[in-house]
Amino acid sequence: MQMLEIFYQAHFNQFQLQVDCRIPAQGITVLFGESGSGKSTLLNLLAGLNNAHESAQHKMHIEQARFSLNNIVYDDSEQKIKLKPWQRRIAYVFQDNRLFPHMTVLQNIRFGYKRRNSSLDQQALIEQFKIGELLQHYPQQLSGGQKQRVSMVRALLSSPDLLIMDEPLAALDYNSRQQLLPYIESIHQQLTIPVLYVSHDIKEVLRLADYIVLMQQGKSIAQGELAELCVSQPLLTRAEGPSFILQGHVSALLNEEGLLQMHCEGYELLIAAQPDKQPGAQPLNNGESLRILLYARDVSLCLLPADNSSILNTVPVRIDEIKQQDKGKQLLLCSLGQQRLLATISQRSVNNLQLEVGKQLYAQFKATAMIK
Amino acid sequence: MEWAPILITLKLATITTLILLVLGTPLAWWLSQSQHRFKVIIESVVALPLVLPPTVLGFYLLIALSPQGFIGEFWSLFSDSTLTFSFSGLVIGSVIYSMPFVVQPLQASFETVGRPLQQAAWSLGANRLDTFRHIVLPLSSRGFLVAITLGFAHTVGEFGVVLMIGGNIPEVTQVLSIVIYDHVEVLEYQQAHAYAAGLLVFSFVVLLTTYSLNKKFRVRL
Repeated sequence: MQMLEIFYQAHFNQFQLQVDCRIPAQGITVLFGESGSGKSTLLNLLAGLNNAHESAQHKMHIEQARFSLNNIVYDDSEQKIKLKPWQRRIAYVFQDNRLFPHMTVLQNIRFGYKRRNSSLDQQALIEQFKIGELLQHYPQQLSGGQKQRVSMVRALLSSPDLLIMDEPLAALDYNSRQQLLPYIESIHQQLTIPVLYVSHDIKEVLRLADYIVLMQQGKSIAQGELAELCVSQPLLTRAEGPSFILQGHVSALLNEEGLLQMHCEGYELLIAAQPDKQPGAQPLNNGESLRILLYARDVSLCLLPADNSSILNTVPVRIDEIKQQDKGKQLLLCSLGQQRLLATISQRSVNNLQLEVGKQLYAQFKATAMIK
Repeated sequence: MEWAPILITLKLATITTLILLVLGTPLAWWLSQSQHRFKVIIESVVALPLVLPPTVLGFYLLIALSPQGFIGEFWSLFSDSTLTFSFSGLVIGSVIYSMPFVVQPLQASFETVGRPLQQAAWSLGANRLDTFRHIVLPLSSRGFLVAITLGFAHTVGEFGVVLMIGGNIPEVTQVLSIVIYDHVEVLEYQQAHAYAAGLLVFSFVVLLTTYSLNKKFRVRL
């Protein structure tokens, strides 16, 4: 598999950037971290947009750099390679869209298309992002969501080797965000371009991420697939403690009960259909693939399946590992088929139930979960 | 009424404005983009004509343009004529004197375009020149309009510098403002009125047009 190799060591003022990661050159990789963790700085380095003109005190001092993709070297401090932004085939979707105000939508989306001698199907992308009606409009006539759609088409039409998206939804209201998410998902279903997506919203991560790079205080501290990383990095859901992800697909919609049934590892789970009652949330369809995020503290374990319980979900699991947590708590890493399930249990329960690695038992959790 | 001073004035203003566009555009671009520590020095030098009495500027120009001065000496390598009391000398003087009226509006409009749009253009494969041509220039068209009108109008209204370096040679260096001065000196108010009123109306119309087109790019004094 092709990989993006990213290695940067740089500083400006007091800020230290230290990034070392290899990420798959396909799918959506989310760069996740709090604001000020260096995400945007890293993106600018990748795109070659870092302050070439800044005065000395704000200038980024790059100690070491190595960035390559598909055997093309973009940055290499040892070989003194540093491609100009226009030499890099890296398209950028900015948070503030940056459409050219003196050009129509059509002229905007053709700007990169012409310059990169792109062979992509312009009409197909126009239809995919539903901007056919807007082609003769000027950017100031568009809504925020429309602008961002145009901006995505403009970036994609330049046939980039990498698409960078810097919190493309952050400046939009909730409804526009919900409406835009499916378009972003469609990028990855219909094109093979790798996407590097910056976000600090766990919901966006849950919905979009195939792969995650975690950033903290200028450092890339962990990377991996979403399901793995959730288990090893409580940082993702810091306040709520350890979390995990279950993947499956919708097998039935129980609308009268406000529930949906999810098929996961051969079991049917019941999940509250719309945990957040925000307007504009897209209804799920039968058969659609689904990811849910659960917190380890919401899972309990029992030796026998309880029939007379208010808890809707009971699945057989096997204990793989027991980790000591603080204040008499234990984190149990269990497997549900091929997937990982976590449970936070008190030390007392571990002793009472004589829990140990390899033991088969049942996990229970309520229907409340965060849906993708 | 003689037409020669009017023609000389218009010719001087046109040539000066054209030269200023050629020199001023890259200078204004550099000033708008650079964080260089010498930038403030260049900015101050460009703005000097705004505060210097024209006689001071004219005096130093007279020295520099004379055959012994550093510009005059350089000029004599290419030409037998002298720069002082010639139309070419007037052009050099006007270019310096009207520089801020072209550079400042251009710089302001370039700054308004800003780096973010340029970065977007770069990421779509446009190099610096391409970006300047297709993003910065079209978005600065009003800045150019202001720069051209102000540069032209200010050259038309020049007096002190011309008097110092151009003298008052009819049909060579005698411009409108000097003709008016001459008429007033010999108390020919009637003739002075004709020229003066014309200039007044001309200047007012130019400024009115400029400011109503856009308030953003006003010259910063």
